[in-house]
Amino acid sequence: MPVSLNYLVRRVGWSIATIAGVVILSYLVLVLSPGDPAVKWAGNPRGPGAAKAIENARKELGLDQPLYLQVLNFLRMAFTGDLGISIAYKKPVSEILWRGLAATLELLALAYAIAIPLGAFIGVMASLRRGTWLDGFIQSASLVLANTPTFWLGIAIFMVLSTSGVTAYGRVDTRLALATGFRSITGLYLLDALVQLNFPVFLDVLARTFPPALAVAAYPVGVCARVTRALMADALLEGFVQSAVAWGVSRRAVVWRYAFRATLAGLVQVSGLAFAYSLVDAMVVEYVFGRDGLGRFLFDSVNTSDFRLATGLIIVVALFYVLANTLADIVQALVDPRVKL
Amino acid sequence: MMNKGHRSNLGGLGELARRAWSRSLRFRAGVVIVVVMVAVAILGPFIAPYPSDGWGAVPPKAAERAGKPPGPEFLLGTDHLGRDVLSRILVGAWLALAQSLAVISIGLALGLLLGICAAYYRQAIEATINYIAEVFLALPAVILALALRMVLGQGIHVVIGSLLLTWWPWYARVAYVYARSIAEMEYITLAKLAGVPGRRILVRHIAANVLPPVLVQAITDVGSVLLEAAAINFLGLGLPPDAPDWGIIVQNGFKYVISMPWISLFPGLFILLTALGFSMLGDSLREELDPKMRRRWRLWF
Repeated sequence: MPVSLNYLVRRVGWSIATIAGVVILSYLVLVLSPGDPAVKWAGNPRGPGAAKAIENARKELGLDQPLYLQVLNFLRMAFTGDLGISIAYKKPVSEILWRGLAATLELLALAYAIAIPLGAFIGVMASLRRGTWLDGFIQSASLVLANTPTFWLGIAIFMVLSTSGVTAYGRVDTRLALATGFRSITGLYLLDALVQLNFPVFLDVLARTFPPALAVAAYPVGVCARVTRALMADALLEGFVQSAVAWGVSRRAVVWRYAFRATLAGLVQVSGLAFAYSLVDAMVVEYVFGRDGLGRFLFDSVNTSDFRLATGLIIVVALFYVLANTLADIVQALVDPRVKL
Repeated sequence: MMNKGHRSNLGGLGELARRAWSRSLRFRAGVVIVVVMVAVAILGPFIAPYPSDGWGAVPPKAAERAGKPPGPEFLLGTDHLGRDVLSRILVGAWLALAQSLAVISIGLALGLLLGICAAYYRQAIEATINYIAEVFLALPAVILALALRMVLGQGIHVVIGSLLLTWWPWYARVAYVYARSIAEMEYITLAKLAGVPGRRILVRHIAANVLPPVLVQAITDVGSVLLEAAAINFLGLGLPPDAPDWGIIVQNGFKYVISMPWISLFPGLFILLTALGFSMLGDSLREELDPKMRRRWRLWF
């Protein structure tokens, strides 16, 4: 077992401490934001009963307690998965964000299912033809991809599709979903449609997820290609690869089974970190393509001044970041026996 | 890397740039792009064909001018309010550079200071700084921008504040790692034994050697910060909707993307080109600084 229990405990403890810091920080947003949350909660009451209604709302929200108790209370709630009730939607924030997170994860998963194999393949090709025009082209192209504003790329894809008559707006064709009796259980439409053997909906969801996924994939394709190229260049010079060549192992086996395997751990770690980074890209692209993901709720929370939703969003995104980074490190250790944690 | 790092200081950085210039095509291309963009940022308001359009004023004959495709009169077309897109891009160039350079320079200074302090003083200071850095590393800039937008309202402080808070921890970490390895070297011990005061060791012996590699990293990051700032403005979290920021111009054109695609197309190209220029500059400098060091993109750990 390359991952020691001791490391795991320390890592998890550190992650919890980080999340706690974020939760406290996000509570400050709630406290410092303009306007009295109790007034909002009571629905901006007017007339003789107003003072009483606001007082009741203050009690209900726990705002009559001292600040440190409020923070502690909020921490306790957040760690039990209760993020309060959204002011605009009048529904539990955790429920709204869970649905949003599922949509965003679906997009990210598809994007990375495209990006990692493609990027790795391109990187291996470049490393095998180092110094040629192909290598130069791949290097420049991946640099351009990594510096392309994702929202702009999303708009460009959206525009090209719209002018050629393809609709990629939203997550699923509502009429089709109703007609075929599609119901979402997990919030991951692709998975739900597959489980229910609802192939028309599955294809529709896929067709609508693919274009935004391409926009999100641009950055990780560039990153994976460059990292793979650099790691492969080192791996090809290693003793075990050289001796495999000397033993007369076929070129394909040397490249993929020996050299490429040695680069896997690095690739996993980098794509894990990029995955967390891509979350923001995915949110922006969701806004462009009108998908009901975290990006849409980010936009909504600003436009309706829904502070509860905003603080919930901050916490969920931080949780996602920390989880992705921790998992990337652990998977890296599992893939590469040289890494000891 | 380390033995080179010891001799080199800021003067060494000029030497480094000279070597990169003679060897790397990418470096030369990066220099050209960045110099042109800086020139545009400074001269933008003067060379713009319709400066008042650029600042966001709606021209008197707006209805006649609205939605013109690129042509001889309006090189990059006009937007839905009849404003010349080229003028808006040129006038907005300084905003793009000002936002990213402000974030990088302040973030760099803050990160260096805290990172080196953490490495030198250790114990409680080290733990505190590491913890705060960790918390801010768990938050993407867009999300912090959302928080600041909620509390403080729209404005440039949202963009700069949120990016600053998310970028200083990277420099603090890099500086911390370098500074720790330097702080354990013999010449630091010797300096301590010789009675050199702590502050002087920090500045003259540690900071001076940490600076070059971190500075090279920072040049690359200008591009990344520009991209993030554009995204924040695109989402409407940062600058007000009339500002000539490139991200906001893309946002303005987004609603008309089918009928007037040029409004969003061109400012996006400018973002791409500028970010690419800084990336190429920093990349090739880093290769020159240490050919063996692998590029880690925005991700250090």
